[in-house]
Amino acid sequence: MEAMNQEDSLDRQLREAASYIEDDGFTARVLRQLPAPRQRGRSARPVILIGMSLLASAVAYVLSDGGRFVVVGITRLTVLPSLWIFLLALGAGILVMTGGLVAAMSKTSELRS
Amino acid sequence: MELTDADLITRVLVDDDHHAFGELVRRHQSAVRGLLRQLTRTDLALADDLSQETFIRAYKHIRSFRGEARFSTWLHRIAYNCFREDARRRKELVGIDDQQLQAEHDPQTADAGLRHDLMHALSLLPLPERTAVLLCCQNGVSHDEAARILDIPLGTVKTNVLRGREKLKKTLAAWGPN
Repeated sequence: MEAMNQEDSLDRQLREAASYIEDDGFTARVLRQLPAPRQRGRSARPVILIGMSLLASAVAYVLSDGGRFVVVGITRLTVLPSLWIFLLALGAGILVMTGGLVAAMSKTSELRS
Repeated sequence: MELTDADLITRVLVDDDHHAFGELVRRHQSAVRGLLRQLTRTDLALADDLSQETFIRAYKHIRSFRGEARFSTWLHRIAYNCFREDARRRKELVGIDDQQLQAEHDPQTADAGLRHDLMHALSLLPLPERTAVLLCCQNGVSHDEAARILDIPLGTVKTNVLRGREKLKKTLAAWGPN
């Protein structure tokens, strides 16, 4: 019991010894060094990118005779042997997984830093 | 009604609100600066430089704060990392080591008064014990949180706190029972 009281008293003394440090312009100095606030226009970037992608797709569709190349591609795919389709799917899967792993690893190292 | 840390963080994330971040700095500056002053053995200029670095780093990486721990715990972790990196850099530059730093503090020059003796005794503790005592006893951080901040096992934190307290008690024995 006495030991516990001593511990409490040491904690109390330590807390009391750490007096509050007045700001004295510290916050202002930190704020001056922060990077400039994001431009509002930056939030429109995804909308512009998606819009441009949709427009480019529409132009490509029109110029390629109503997307005939897609129909031709699918027709070709259906006549491929099952093994080929399996290998294509496997390759695509590995590619996507590698991309995901690389993204995850770079994000992890960014968080650690 | 006063905004919580979580509200302020949301404002920083969504609107990049510098005022909200300023409020976070105002709330936590004393604890962060106090911790770094003790870690740097009361080198006020260095402690304030590292504190500024801590908050700037916190601002830049605020998206990685996921709210699993308290904001203050996250800040303490950044502060400790800043201190460690700086200590490593300085060690590389001038080759100072812990013993040398300790020798710079002559116990005979300790100021009168329990408060000064306590802070001086604290500054003489080896870094792992000093950090653990500062976090757990002075800043009220739990052992679990301290283990997360320092990136060491929970058992090591407990041992360091225990050893640090014992040494402090021994150093302050002259002041008699409280």
